[in-house]
Amino acid sequence: MLDLILCVDDDPITLMLCKKVITKTSFSNTIVTAKNGEEALEYFDSIINKKEDTQLPQLIFLDLNMPVMDGWEFLDNFSSNKYSKVNTTKIVVLSSTIDPEDHEKSKKYPMVIDFLSKPITTNMLTYLESKI
Amino acid sequence: MKSKTSQITTIYILIASILAVFLYKITSLHLKQEYYLIFNLLKDFFLILLTGAAFRYVLSKNETRNKTIFERLENTNNEIKESNEKYDIVAKATSDTIWDWKIQEDKLNWSKGIKSVFGYEEDQVGDSSSWWFGNIHPEDSIKMSIKLYSFIEQKTEKWQDEYRFKCADDTYKYVLDRGFLLKDENGKAIRMIGALQDITKQKEEELRLKLLETVILQTKESIVITEATFNKNLLPKIIYTNPAFTNMTGYASEEIINNSLDTLKGPNTELSVIKKIIQIIRNKEEGLLEIKCYKKDKTEFWLRFTLIPIYNSENELSHWVSIQRDVTEEKNQEKEKEQLIKELTQNNKDLKQFSYITSHNLRAPMSNLTGLLNLIEDITIEDPELNEIINGFSKSTHLLNETIEDLTKVMIIKDNTSIEKENISIKDVFENVFSQLTNQIEIAKPILKLNLENVSVLNTNKAYMESILLNLLTNSLKYRSDKRILKITITAHQTGNTVELVFKDNGIGIDLDRNKDKIFGLYQRFHDYADSKGLGLYLVKSQVEAMKGTINIESKVNKGTTLTLTFKNK
Repeated sequence: MLDLILCVDDDPITLMLCKKVITKTSFSNTIVTAKNGEEALEYFDSIINKKEDTQLPQLIFLDLNMPVMDGWEFLDNFSSNKYSKVNTTKIVVLSSTIDPEDHEKSKKYPMVIDFLSKPITTNMLTYLESKI
Repeated sequence: MKSKTSQITTIYILIASILAVFLYKITSLHLKQEYYLIFNLLKDFFLILLTGAAFRYVLSKNETRNKTIFERLENTNNEIKESNEKYDIVAKATSDTIWDWKIQEDKLNWSKGIKSVFGYEEDQVGDSSSWWFGNIHPEDSIKMSIKLYSFIEQKTEKWQDEYRFKCADDTYKYVLDRGFLLKDENGKAIRMIGALQDITKQKEEELRLKLLETVILQTKESIVITEATFNKNLLPKIIYTNPAFTNMTGYASEEIINNSLDTLKGPNTELSVIKKIIQIIRNKEEGLLEIKCYKKDKTEFWLRFTLIPIYNSENELSHWVSIQRDVTEEKNQEKEKEQLIKELTQNNKDLKQFSYITSHNLRAPMSNLTGLLNLIEDITIEDPELNEIINGFSKSTHLLNETIEDLTKVMIIKDNTSIEKENISIKDVFENVFSQLTNQIEIAKPILKLNLENVSVLNTNKAYMESILLNLLTNSLKYRSDKRILKITITAHQTGNTVELVFKDNGIGIDLDRNKDKIFGLYQRFHDYADSKGLGLYLVKSQVEAMKGTINIESKVNKGTTLTLTFKNK
């Protein structure tokens, strides 16, 4: 069981679903959420600045299509030097895209360990558990 | 001559008689009897001498005259001989056939040319004018005889004519016949001599040139011929334009001849093209160019033209030929087409983007619904009505999800223009597909015949191939007849680079007469089965075509269906 995971998605239903399934399968102790890429980055900023007693998540579920800052922009920022201390965190892209180019594009980011199609399921988490 | 002889003789007798009488008179008056005998003897001697002298004179005169006549005759004879020889030589040297016509007797002689040129043997040649006229081409004969007789009757001064003359082998030769008349002292024509010249080659060349000329005159392409070199600082001087040029530009040929094609220039004429033309003329090379030009009425048009250098027999550039066409309409169409393609490409791109976004936006809430339903599954619902509602909700959600998934699949196949191919074992593919269909095969218990012949490896896209086989086999299993045991025959056959896969079943078949156009269409269903979606054959065709293959169907209701797939297998 993981200690902390971060779910980034603009859709509150998806976030709710994530929480429910993760809790059900005891995949992780704690779940934090962010509504878009920018919020997610802010979360990591606070870790770097050590403002609060924030922990580094062990896994991120990342949606691609989001307002304000989408998944790609988040990945670009997260790969930069600014986040070199924290970007060892593994990322699973969780999206409903079917554009084959997206799949190819995600492979360029070393922290992305998988590209999965929504919805999140118990089977999916079992599979991920074995992978991590 | 006879009369002259008797004349001379008479004169001589007369003179001699007068002399005899005169001498007798003198002797009878002045001489004595005794001298008479002597005198008689002397007188006889005198007479003999006198006649002798007269004879001599006459004879010698005759002789000289005869001699001159004889000499003259001999000369004439020689001249004739020489003239005959010359005639023979000339007749031999020219290819002309000489004829000689004695008009009153209607006797016509032909020189040897009648054999060498026209192929007639001596015994085939007639000796009257009717043979001559008989061999003139029927279309030419009336015109020819009218002209000939008006010449013989001396209404016209000269005679020469062209007509077709029949050869021994029944072909016709074009001849030029020229003749002159010989007249008697009364000026009546008694003889005519002429020469036939074989002008078939010239005539054929003339006809050929005429034919070629009609091409230039009749063609819709403008043709311009110019001199070889620049006309001072203008383009080369024009020496010919055909009617099509006048049609195209409005300039009559006399207006443009001696000018240059610079006449067609106007405000929008591209200088760069003019420079190219100059370059081409300088380098004496061929060219194909397009330029904006102006007609006589100043309307602008697009001219597409070639420049072809023409060399004479000394291999010197003698002319330029330019073939030209007004391509304004083509140009406009081309522009429209380009614009259309641009718009369509953009539209297509937009639509593609749109379909990805739509599909994403459909799939996102769809996945939420599926995820939520997954959660509900583990919750026991006490209320039977709520349970029923949730069941219906779940079914509809799954159906909607399936539809979206299918459409997404189609979209990806259609979008993937270049798909990855690999060498796969055909046996493995079949095994894989069969294992996925174990349940259905268990139920239908079909007779499966697999004949893969020499085909073992296919160069293809594995996922597509599996999907195709899966769809076709599912169809055979699903649409089997309940009246007989299902039999599926699959054969593979390779000739050269082409692989043919044939699927044959004895199922319920499809009425192709009614459904020929719809058979591979999207969401086309031919049987009212609960689980048929009308997607299988559409997907199969899309995937076959994505791999640059073709698919063909033959089917008979209640007999079965045969599908033939053809691929290139490199």
